[in-house]
Amino acid sequence: MESGLAAPRNRGIIDDPVALQVVWTRLIAIADESAATLRRTSFSPIVRESNDFACVIFDAEGNAMAENTIGIPSFNMTLSRTLAHFLKIRPAGEWRPGDVGICNDPWLTSGHLPDITIVAPVFAEDRLVAWTGSIAHMADIGGTLWSADTREVFEEGIRIPPLLYLIEGRVNADLQAMIRANVRLPEPVLGDIAAQIAAGETAARGLRDLIAREGIDDLGSISRAICARTERAMRAAIAEIPEGAYRSALDLDGTGEEPVHIEVAVTRRGEELFIDYTGTSPEVGRALNTVMNYTEAYSCYPVKCALDPGTPRNEGTYRMIHVSAPEGSILNPRFPAPVHARQLVGHCLAAAIYEALAPVLGERIVAESGSAPTLRVLVSGYREDRRRYTAILFINGGMGARARRDGLSGTCFPSNVVCGSMEIIEALSPLRIWRKELASDSGGAGRFRGGLGQDVEIELTGDRSATLSLLVERVRHPARGVLGGASGAGSRVVWNGRDSGFPLKGKSPIAAGDRLRVRYAGGGGFGDPRERDREAVRADLEAGRISETAAREVYGL
Amino acid sequence: MTRYLAGADVGGTFTDIVLYDAETRTLSVNKLLTTPDDPRRAIVEGLGALEARAESVVHGTTLVTNALIERRGAAVGLITTEGYRDVLEIGNELRYDTFDLQLERPAPLVDRRLRRPVPERIGADGSVVLALDEPAVHQAAAALRDGGVRSIAIAFFNSYRNPTHELRAKQIVADAHPDLVVCASAEIAPEVREYERFSTAVANAYVAPIALKYLLELERSLGVPLFIMLSDGGITTARTASEQPIALVESGPAAGAMGAAFLARQAGWDDVIGFDMGGTTAKVSLIHGGLPHRSHELEAARLQRFKKGSGLPLRVSTIELIEIGAGGGSIAGVDELGLMRVGPRSSGAVPGPACYGRGGEEPTVTDADLIRGYLAPDRFLGGRMRLDRSRATAALERLGERLGLGLAETAAGMARVVDNNMATAARVHIAESGTDPLRYRMVAFGGAGPVHAYEIARLLNVREVIFPRGAGVASAIGMLVAPRSVEYTRSLIMRLDALDWRAVDDAVAALETRGRAVLREAGVGDDEIAVELSADMRYVGQGFEVTVPLDRTSQSRRDAAAWRRAFDDHYARRFGRSLDMLSVEGVSWRVRVGAPAAVSELRFGELDSRDDEALIERRMAYFEECAGFVEVPVFARARLRAGGTPIAGPALIEEAESTAVIGPSASVVTDAYGNLVMTLSARPRP
Repeated sequence: MESGLAAPRNRGIIDDPVALQVVWTRLIAIADESAATLRRTSFSPIVRESNDFACVIFDAEGNAMAENTIGIPSFNMTLSRTLAHFLKIRPAGEWRPGDVGICNDPWLTSGHLPDITIVAPVFAEDRLVAWTGSIAHMADIGGTLWSADTREVFEEGIRIPPLLYLIEGRVNADLQAMIRANVRLPEPVLGDIAAQIAAGETAARGLRDLIAREGIDDLGSISRAICARTERAMRAAIAEIPEGAYRSALDLDGTGEEPVHIEVAVTRRGEELFIDYTGTSPEVGRALNTVMNYTEAYSCYPVKCALDPGTPRNEGTYRMIHVSAPEGSILNPRFPAPVHARQLVGHCLAAAIYEALAPVLGERIVAESGSAPTLRVLVSGYREDRRRYTAILFINGGMGARARRDGLSGTCFPSNVVCGSMEIIEALSPLRIWRKELASDSGGAGRFRGGLGQDVEIELTGDRSATLSLLVERVRHPARGVLGGASGAGSRVVWNGRDSGFPLKGKSPIAAGDRLRVRYAGGGGFGDPRERDREAVRADLEAGRISETAAREVYGL
Repeated sequence: MTRYLAGADVGGTFTDIVLYDAETRTLSVNKLLTTPDDPRRAIVEGLGALEARAESVVHGTTLVTNALIERRGAAVGLITTEGYRDVLEIGNELRYDTFDLQLERPAPLVDRRLRRPVPERIGADGSVVLALDEPAVHQAAAALRDGGVRSIAIAFFNSYRNPTHELRAKQIVADAHPDLVVCASAEIAPEVREYERFSTAVANAYVAPIALKYLLELERSLGVPLFIMLSDGGITTARTASEQPIALVESGPAAGAMGAAFLARQAGWDDVIGFDMGGTTAKVSLIHGGLPHRSHELEAARLQRFKKGSGLPLRVSTIELIEIGAGGGSIAGVDELGLMRVGPRSSGAVPGPACYGRGGEEPTVTDADLIRGYLAPDRFLGGRMRLDRSRATAALERLGERLGLGLAETAAGMARVVDNNMATAARVHIAESGTDPLRYRMVAFGGAGPVHAYEIARLLNVREVIFPRGAGVASAIGMLVAPRSVEYTRSLIMRLDALDWRAVDDAVAALETRGRAVLREAGVGDDEIAVELSADMRYVGQGFEVTVPLDRTSQSRRDAAAWRRAFDDHYARRFGRSLDMLSVEGVSWRVRVGAPAAVSELRFGELDSRDDEALIERRMAYFEECAGFVEVPVFARARLRAGGTPIAGPALIEEAESTAVIGPSASVVTDAYGNLVMTLSARPRP
């Protein structure tokens, strides 16, 4: 808009419900363009098939302004924290055009080494005006395979502190050589880092175009205006919760050796929400420890889903949510605790928070999800031609039931990872996936039924043995129902006919011809199953989603 | 040689019939009300009323897409590999909205009880791991038949590598139940990824019985050969179309894009953004070298129309269109954050914008356009509808009050938000195609397209916009100018540096033979046929492919390096760099067999032969650049003559279907074909 109206430009945008909308819509579109570039140019099947990445744009001070529309919920929040660490070590004034930072230190980023964070400054006419950031799960990071049986972070792969990967546009060759030498799949890993850099460049181009087009001379003031509005919306939603403290507790299978007990108190005071994990188990000797960044991210995300799902997220969204966990607890471990499989605990925080808030927010929450934590099966080895492969099955259990709807079967919550094609898995590895089907009776019974889990059957074909890593939780602690709903079916792994004698959170050698049958857990139910609509019970029975026994005995048909 | 060729486009309100006379190269148009209970009636009637009898008819239809959206297809059964009964229901497991806990997935087109697994297994290398259990296929088919299905899809795991089990099962079912429609996934979409392939096969089986009936009955009642518009902009015989009706899913919109491409090409333009803004949505297509962009994936019947991931995935060769929730009926409001929002909610035809006076109370884009002075209240739709300014004013003032904006500011703000929504979506689309927006010109059509084109062009840095003569019947024109062509695909994953040339030759030859047979049936001589080869390629290890045209002389010279270079160039154009250290592989091979279009030039008769003054009136219109309302001249388009002196903006040019807004930094002329060509003055590029 060529302005004939003589108002000062930025003041105009900030106070203008039209101009601010236009700029914000564009910022989100820029984050989405950035994400499209990353996905399209990525090599890791984890990024491109499974959506395990996120892109965020920040103002010059490092406040998140916008993020890609369908990202991994935890990443978007941890990216802000990582950028803040970078700026502490290397103040904004020391960055030059073309500099690109890299880091995967779990305590500074998203809690485990395979996620690489890339940040870069955006310059417009020699002024630093914004930052771009992305985070992506690499195909490999060296160390041991992705597993839960490590004892120190040092076993888990190469740890990259906040460093420059590009210096004024040129690759930091020493660092690149160091990474190349320490990962099993150097080409895809370096290719994915390049894809992240390209994604940042895409966002930078978009930002420069926006700034010039709208005549913006202070992006920071626009960022503050946008964040203030999201903050107000979230504060208003929080204020609707009846004032008070709400508690719940959750037990997990853990390592089997040490207990994993989560205790949470959610307190609403004024327009602020305090989420405190005092009483939670101390850190454990295996890789279930969840660094504070990750604890915080997975505590805030479910609150937003329940209270304010309609607004895009930015730095303002979580400002009034205060998360605390005792130092040295499993939710705030000290370096160098093992953290590789931190999702096994972190994904369960949504369940604890919803359980606590169920009495006051029943309509807006979901029952526990069988897909939290995600159950992962990894197989890694060599093909006949000596090529290395690592196959990860990103299959999901069922989501918990909602107050007025059944839970979604085979759906990731609170994470949001896509399950890729099994045909692709078979084309890239010697695995044969004999079965991937909904598991009858696995959804927790209720007025609304939990989402069904899945039954998956895997064979290692060929004549070469390999390494299997299982990341399995919810065997002894299935996803619980809420307000009278029943639990979903738990997880189960049967290996050549046996369901014990191997680690569910660890690595084992697997021989050619071995078969694994894996049950992905179902979601919990919502409300009393005897109040379930009779037509819905009959439809479930006819489709084989529930058995006759369950229809009769649980639902009273 | 055919002299009279007709196109028939059935829209929601109007059925457009156009007749082309090959001798005079002129077009006549007949617009009738659509007959929703039986669309054939309007077509037959419209053709009958023309001054000459059409010797063949091309038809674009929304039958298939509507059947999917409204779930009006046939009862369909699925026979699949044991262990994969729930592929359609499980989908890709993604929550397509990050924060919405209440979201739903589209229900599969086949109920679980009608999905029957049978023992069989093909390996990833195409080998038979477990033989097909033929008695189980018999049993499954019989059970499905008893269950009341009218068609059966057969979709087996890894069938893209080796379709023999699927084809055998299809044979068994067809022999036992000749009254059922049967289709195999490897014939419909022979591509890797089970969910997408199964989904496409099932959707095809779902629409096949109704499509077959409709197309054959229509051809019978016409009494002349019937050709059907495919989603990718080609046309084929009714019989071939009915074999793979899912290929018709974008038949209607494809015709519009083909029409726009033709009208632009005729004006001498090759690289064009097609911008079609109607009542509910805006559609943007990219046209390169005179042809609309194609893609091979789309989503049908979304639960949330503008949310990717909420629909049924289809692997179909299609003209790429992005659809934005922005149209004349888009409603403006205040969002959760106190900012103005426009769309995607729409007032639809009923109650429609507030100014229609049919009970609509909420402010829409059309209301804002009226307030801005762009629409004449007494000449809307050629005077068939009177617009009520006072109702539009009231609706906008209610909104303005909540946002602290005056009436003009509210109207201008609504236009600005909706224009930016469209420009942003178009920009993302252009960026994803890896091209520079600066190379494009724009073709604007649809009722609201010419009203908003000026601002969109400014936002995209586009310098020239064409408002084509005949924009009102662009879809029907697209049918006349579409080439007879078909495309067939085969997945064959192979590294270019270790290419099995014989396998490539065999696959390509088989696809070409199949295509030539179809064209021959459509009356195309062998010497007219052109064959184009392309492949979906990627760097080894990547998961997304880009479709790269390949030259066939390299195939005969066994020059894989040339194909590699073609891929690298394409990739670099799209993503900024190529990756020389990595190997490249071909994934799917595509052969398009086509003949040139029958129509290469179109002229319209004069609309208004009176030599009246073109200037109708002067009225006040709002332009942001002029900081408010200014008096502008209003012209009747029908009275503008080719080669006249350019009209400088700001100005408005009215015709029955729309108003072209010529902004202050633009001027417009009429070209020899009756098109309006608007030129925007240069603006420094940011």
